[in-house]
Amino acid sequence: MEQDTFNVSAARSWREIPQPVKPRAMSRGGRWRRGLAAGRIVALVSLLVALGWGGWMVAAALRDSPSMPAAAKTVPVRAPKLKRTDGVLDDAWLARTLALPRGVSLMELDLGQLRDRLLADGQVVTATLERQFPATLLASITERTPVARLRVAQGAQERDLLVARDGVVFTGSGFDPAMIDLLPWLAGVTITPEAGRLRPVAHMEAVAQLLADTQLAAEHLYRSWLAVSLARFETDRELEVTTKDGSVIVFSAKGGFFVQLAKLDYIVEKLAVMRAGPMRIDLSLGREVPVRPLAEKPEARAAAAAGFNAFSSRFPSQLNREL
Amino acid sequence: MSSRTTFIGAVEIGTSKITVLIGEYTGRELAIIGRGECASRGVIKGTVVDYKAASDCTHSALQQAERDAGERIDLVFLAQTGGHLEGFYNEASVNVKASDNMIEPGDVRTVCDLAKAKELPAGRMVVHHIRRPFRVDGRMIPGSPENLVGQRLDVGYWTVHGQEQRLADNIHVIRGFNLEVRELVLASLAAGHMVTSAEERQHGVLAIDIGAGTTDFVLYRDGAPHTTGVLPVGGTHLTNDLGIGLRLTEGQAEKLKLRFGRANVHTKDKAHKVWLDGNFAIGDRQFPQQAIEQITAARAWELLEVVKKKVGNAFSPESCSAGVVLTGGSAKLAGIAETASKVFGVAAHLGEAPTWISENLRDPGYHTALGLLYYGVSAQAEKAATPRKGGRFLTGVKRLFANA
Repeated sequence: MEQDTFNVSAARSWREIPQPVKPRAMSRGGRWRRGLAAGRIVALVSLLVALGWGGWMVAAALRDSPSMPAAAKTVPVRAPKLKRTDGVLDDAWLARTLALPRGVSLMELDLGQLRDRLLADGQVVTATLERQFPATLLASITERTPVARLRVAQGAQERDLLVARDGVVFTGSGFDPAMIDLLPWLAGVTITPEAGRLRPVAHMEAVAQLLADTQLAAEHLYRSWLAVSLARFETDRELEVTTKDGSVIVFSAKGGFFVQLAKLDYIVEKLAVMRAGPMRIDLSLGREVPVRPLAEKPEARAAAAAGFNAFSSRFPSQLNREL
Repeated sequence: MSSRTTFIGAVEIGTSKITVLIGEYTGRELAIIGRGECASRGVIKGTVVDYKAASDCTHSALQQAERDAGERIDLVFLAQTGGHLEGFYNEASVNVKASDNMIEPGDVRTVCDLAKAKELPAGRMVVHHIRRPFRVDGRMIPGSPENLVGQRLDVGYWTVHGQEQRLADNIHVIRGFNLEVRELVLASLAAGHMVTSAEERQHGVLAIDIGAGTTDFVLYRDGAPHTTGVLPVGGTHLTNDLGIGLRLTEGQAEKLKLRFGRANVHTKDKAHKVWLDGNFAIGDRQFPQQAIEQITAARAWELLEVVKKKVGNAFSPESCSAGVVLTGGSAKLAGIAETASKVFGVAAHLGEAPTWISENLRDPGYHTALGLLYYGVSAQAEKAATPRKGGRFLTGVKRLFANA
């Protein structure tokens, strides 16, 4: 049976008797125990205070302040390391980009500023820097992948740049040259500087989609392409592809590219059998696909044969639409 | 109780000796790891009359037990005895509120509160509320009456109360050693819990703890304590009577009582004499053994008669089929079980600790302290099972400061 012997009633319970006693009513052993208990509390409080003070000191030391411990100041940073990347950049690029002063310590680095340096390279999408004591700076980055090439004129000189799917133009470091050579050139765009960088190319998503679909569905066609022009995209939503043999193919960006690519593949096969010269194939009209021979211009033929470099002098204005 | 190990001190401040046992309680198991004893001073009939002397003895026993255990006591369960302790029975009944007459927790709570809500005279404090079985429409319910169907719910409480100053004196003796008194347990309940089995308590049993200065008893019926009581009479009265009757000092009388005292007259030969010391030293003399036995037997009979009278109508051979169980230091008096059997008219035997208690703790003098540990721990476990206000952390911090 359940026993309920410790409940409190309306009458006063023995538990209401105050238990604290005066020290003079305590025995020596009791006073010693009391002292021990008090000592335990003092020790506990001291420990908590010490922990709090220590934590505060460490936090203060970690701040960029003159009161930073001398030991932390004196250890120079070793070469920065890439902790993680999804692309081709390496430790050498990191060291070159960060350009850390010699003998600087971890605590003296302004990570925000260094991160901005990394992000200034268009190839870098995100960047995270972390200190690993005593002397290592670690970086984690994500990178852009190029989908096309671009040649721009800077004064009297020309520069080859890369364009990512989101239209960002960047120099490109660490990529395999053979892979870069396969990329088609981008034409029909105007590149303008903005805040010390080049403004991203508009409508690049359509170009990237066309190139990706072509690589996926008909890689032999992709390999034959020399340039993609965005010149008629604003007005007609059309992309104009120039092949290495001088042919011009017009794609409509209003719908998907797979059907157009299938038609193109069929037409190219037929033309190969017929041993036809450069043609203009217009896939933008729907069911009707006009295919007509191009009037051969010695200049264009020579340019096509020599690759795209022949037109470099026309950048950054516009790629020759007569190609 | 928390899951961490707690070192519990069971303290019995008796008239002849102070006993301390230390139990290591892990939340599931209790192991006795230390023992301390000290001859008592400053305590008469279970009441502290000399604070300094009683404190010194108690603290000495506590230190001895802590040394023995190699651990420090966290809290104390203190046995309570003394002639100031009294008990009364109060009953209450309520009509079941629910329209379908199913008893709800609220009905149980109300009837319990009503049964306990009896005011005490000034200066008195409750030590225990001992609940008797519930009754639903007169039908006895051994367990909880919740969800049973009935129109009327009755319950009664046996309330044990004591004088505030006497209770405070005992508590302050322990506090003088900077220890918290977590539970105050009636000595008879502690000893009775130890020497009676659950089956005996169910059938009805009277447990009598005969100490040096007091005799505590508890009558169990239907598995629960029914009536308790304390008489300010004990083994020292036998010693006093021997001293007066045979013109002996208290020490000599105590020695004779321990060696030749009996609760019934066993010696037939009036001329048979025994030596006081038996070492043939100067002052050693002879006494008729029958005279010694007659004095102690008469006093023992009288003591048991007083107990029977105090228990009153609550005791009857029919309601107490498990008989009488005797414990305490004075229960070692030879022939006391036979005398008790004659006085109460039921079978009587000396109480024994359960077999799992180690040999050196099986003496009747330890039954109260052992019972304190086991009764107190089970009460703590019951309390722990009910939700409490405040977090464990807060309780711990409060206790830390309370100990300071």
